[in-house]
Amino acid sequence: MKTRHRLKFLGAALIAAASFSAFAADPIKIGISITQSPPGSVVQGTQVKDAVEIVKDMVNKQGGVLGRQIELVYEDNQGIPEKGRAATEKLITVGKVVAVTGSHQSSVCLAEIEVAKRYNIPYVNTNCWADSVRLKGYPQVFNAPIYSTRVAESVVEALLKLGTKRAVMFCENTDYGIGAAKAIGEAIKAKAPGIDYKYETLDRAGKDFTPAILPLRANPPDVVLLAMLPPPAYIVMNQLYEQGVAPSAKTWLFDTAGLADYPDFWANVKEAGKYMLNFALYHPQMNLPKLATDIGQTYTQRTKNDPNRLIYQAADSLLFIIDAIKQAKSTDADAMIKAMAAMKFEGTRGTFTIAKDAGPKFQQMVDIPSVIYQITEVGQSTGKTLLIEGPGVPLSTAKLMKPAK
Amino acid sequence: MLNVDLLINGLIIGLFYALMAVGLTLIFGILKVVNFAHGEFYMVGTYTYTLVALKLGVDPWLALPLAAGAGAIVGSLTERMLMRPLYSGYTSWGMLKDEYAVVVTFALSLLLVNLVDKVIGPYSQRGPALIDITRMSLGPIMLSGQKLIATAVAAATIVALALFIRYSFWGRQIQAVAQNRLGASLAGIDTAKASNIVFTLSGALAGLSGALLAPIINASPDVGSFPAIKSYVIVVLGGMGSIVGSIAASLTLGVLEGFGAVYISYDYRDTFGLVILMLVLLVRPQGLFGEKGRDV
Amino acid sequence: MKTDRNAVEFRLSLALLALVALIPAAVSNPYWLGVIIVSMYFALLAAGWNLLAGYTGQFSMAPACFAMIGAYASGLLSYHWNVSPWIGLPAAIIVSAAIGMVLGRIVMRLRGPYLALTTLSFAEIMRLVIGNSYSFTRGDLGLNVPGLFDSRLVYYYVFVGVLVAVQTGLFLLLRTKAGLYLRAIRDDEIAAASRGVDVVFWKTAAFTMSTAMSGLAGALYGGFSQLVSPELGLIAQTGLVICMVVIGGIGSLIGPLLGAFLVYASSEALREVGGVQLIVFSFLVIVFARFYREGLWGLAKRAFMRKPA
Repeated sequence: MKTRHRLKFLGAALIAAASFSAFAADPIKIGISITQSPPGSVVQGTQVKDAVEIVKDMVNKQGGVLGRQIELVYEDNQGIPEKGRAATEKLITVGKVVAVTGSHQSSVCLAEIEVAKRYNIPYVNTNCWADSVRLKGYPQVFNAPIYSTRVAESVVEALLKLGTKRAVMFCENTDYGIGAAKAIGEAIKAKAPGIDYKYETLDRAGKDFTPAILPLRANPPDVVLLAMLPPPAYIVMNQLYEQGVAPSAKTWLFDTAGLADYPDFWANVKEAGKYMLNFALYHPQMNLPKLATDIGQTYTQRTKNDPNRLIYQAADSLLFIIDAIKQAKSTDADAMIKAMAAMKFEGTRGTFTIAKDAGPKFQQMVDIPSVIYQITEVGQSTGKTLLIEGPGVPLSTAKLMKPAK
Repeated sequence: MLNVDLLINGLIIGLFYALMAVGLTLIFGILKVVNFAHGEFYMVGTYTYTLVALKLGVDPWLALPLAAGAGAIVGSLTERMLMRPLYSGYTSWGMLKDEYAVVVTFALSLLLVNLVDKVIGPYSQRGPALIDITRMSLGPIMLSGQKLIATAVAAATIVALALFIRYSFWGRQIQAVAQNRLGASLAGIDTAKASNIVFTLSGALAGLSGALLAPIINASPDVGSFPAIKSYVIVVLGGMGSIVGSIAASLTLGVLEGFGAVYISYDYRDTFGLVILMLVLLVRPQGLFGEKGRDV
Repeated sequence: MKTDRNAVEFRLSLALLALVALIPAAVSNPYWLGVIIVSMYFALLAAGWNLLAGYTGQFSMAPACFAMIGAYASGLLSYHWNVSPWIGLPAAIIVSAAIGMVLGRIVMRLRGPYLALTTLSFAEIMRLVIGNSYSFTRGDLGLNVPGLFDSRLVYYYVFVGVLVAVQTGLFLLLRTKAGLYLRAIRDDEIAAASRGVDVVFWKTAAFTMSTAMSGLAGALYGGFSQLVSPELGLIAQTGLVICMVVIGGIGSLIGPLLGAFLVYASSEALREVGGVQLIVFSFLVIVFARFYREGLWGLAKRAFMRKPA
């Protein structure tokens, strides 16, 4: 008698367990490797995190993917390639993630893609602009942000329009910085061979750049270009301003790294930012899809900051992975990679396909829209800046302003 | 024109270096040890100034002495708790007293950096400027109002310190202990108190320089490594223990680095000081101005 | 008496290494195996530094620097001239030992803080030079280098093997007159010289051996992580090594090993809790240095000695 009770109980329990597991399906884990401590850019890492959290919540609320919820696993790469390598490995082997994304620093990217290749896990580059990441040609790696060669083309066009004869670039001593500087050099050779161009590599841990800036005071160029990230970028800007080098009546200050997008930009630079020209990937006057506006609003609600390109790039990276899972109908790595390569992706910045050309465009989302604008007042929000080039706005330097001295 | 610029900027930076380094010189003079946590005294000053001014809304001019005070407290505590055993009391390190100082101050530096990183956060923050003039011209050069004030304060402080050491009661006591500890104590000087004063002063000076430079060199947990390395170079170059030597060495280093960066190599400008340090130590271990010690 | 102490420490360190050798039987996750491999890298550095500082009394601030030199020696050979890492490894040892020997001779007359400052400057100069020679070394971005072996497990056992060899070598060294000379130099250099110890030779020898070990560690580690960067030579890394040795017990054979495994493995574990590992460890170093120089090993010994016979 007891046995029969026991069997019934066991049977009921088994049925309950089976139906339970049908409800509590395993979540799909996606790895996010970002910088959460120095010397990397913690500001960027935080923005990426905020953005992917919004996307995750959005997708999960709609039921997840393939009936499973999305779970994000974070690792801190500190902005150091070696730590990035360890972080990615931990995500893949311990975290058991189906894809890795989030990285926002080119040198770290370069180390991480090696790991992704070794374990054959799809990897979506969130904010690494360096051509070198694409030049490696790894099939597992897909690129959401713009790449340095493209930036260079746009910038050099603007330089030509400005009638530049001499340009000096300050870049940081990383893959991104040096890559950007070299790309501009190449673009100048190809399209504007008359421009006298040189670049100076600055240590991103440096505190005082006056010795590099003083020679420019004696012999001011027409344009000072920047390819640096905060915090040293702010120090350079302040010291350029302090020495009266740029922006000045003789010299334009042209940032190619999207500095003005950072939430701590104005707190750190004040007057030094006025009159600065910016190459950027986001401007409120761009016509972005509704998805972008929704995510942007949620972002402002949660963080009290305006959205910027990094938010949208991060959102696109995660959405891209999720779409790939949907299309491949599985989380198998090869299936995902195949789906990604063939995908027509509708993201927050527009609709993109994946380029196949070998070289700096390999597996790059195309075509990322870009803008050039000038800041005309201290503390100006991006929306009020002067747009001089953008989607639907042909390049025009007529309205640019220069300071009196 | 460029050279005048470089010279004056070099001197200004040299003055800042002097303010950072002179406290370390004092410590070496009196205790014959190098404080590897010196950079962190600087960091304490930077953070105190920045946080007090930004978070508590205190007027920056008031935050300056507060920062110096914070540095002083840290200095005093370090001496009392960690350095005392070097000269009074038991330490299980026996003959390796110098090495003890190296290990303990090094660990202290690690501890402070990571504490700040954990408790306050790793983001760098910009301290508020004392004057909101971001640029002005002064004769041939241009500089920010902050730099100008910092230079003036630094110069005044260093002169005041030099006078204190030379002429005041405690200043002379400190000189005595620096020359010969045993003899000084035999003469009735409280050597422990003298050492404490020196550490306190050193902390205060480092903290003050941290505060003055906070708007230029933003506060971050590892901000101390830069002034620390410069200070080591200067202390050795100037002769460990000689204040005048440190000042001379600081100014020289500032100018040298400036010219070297432009004419020799910008990338390697931090190595000049270090190379000079090594050369000097090898050829003349007592530094350019120091006195040969007498070991018993 | 002294021999007994060394023998005990040696046997215990072999036991510890045997334990480490058995871990892969229980743990197969490559990430955690990697953590232990890195601990062994640090153990090697710690043992080398302990030889120089704990047994010879020369507090050099450059162990991490020499690991970086070794890693770059092997790495650059393979990056620029496609030299196999099998040749790169002995090359790394030789290069590090040679530079270490020169450094040792240079700092011969310096003691205490002077020695520390000079070696610190040297380490910083090397790091800056390597970091800034972008065209040759790819600077801060690091070199991608091929590994020696494909299997992580093989690396694991190679490290164990090297550690066993090093420990044995150290133990044998300490039993000879050389060991006596080194410790005499540590305890009182002037007295040792007056008794006829060739201080110049032995100090240089200690430097050379220590830096050779560091170079070997660096080259092995480079092959394992397949990424060589100036990060390896940061003063903070040296600080970590010093922490490990002091916590474990400076001047003992097993102290560096204990310290390295404990500090690194638990710092990985603590990392989950949230970055307090360095706070805890630097605090421990201060406490040990201030009050109890003999470190954990010393405490363990005391505990054993209190047990009734």
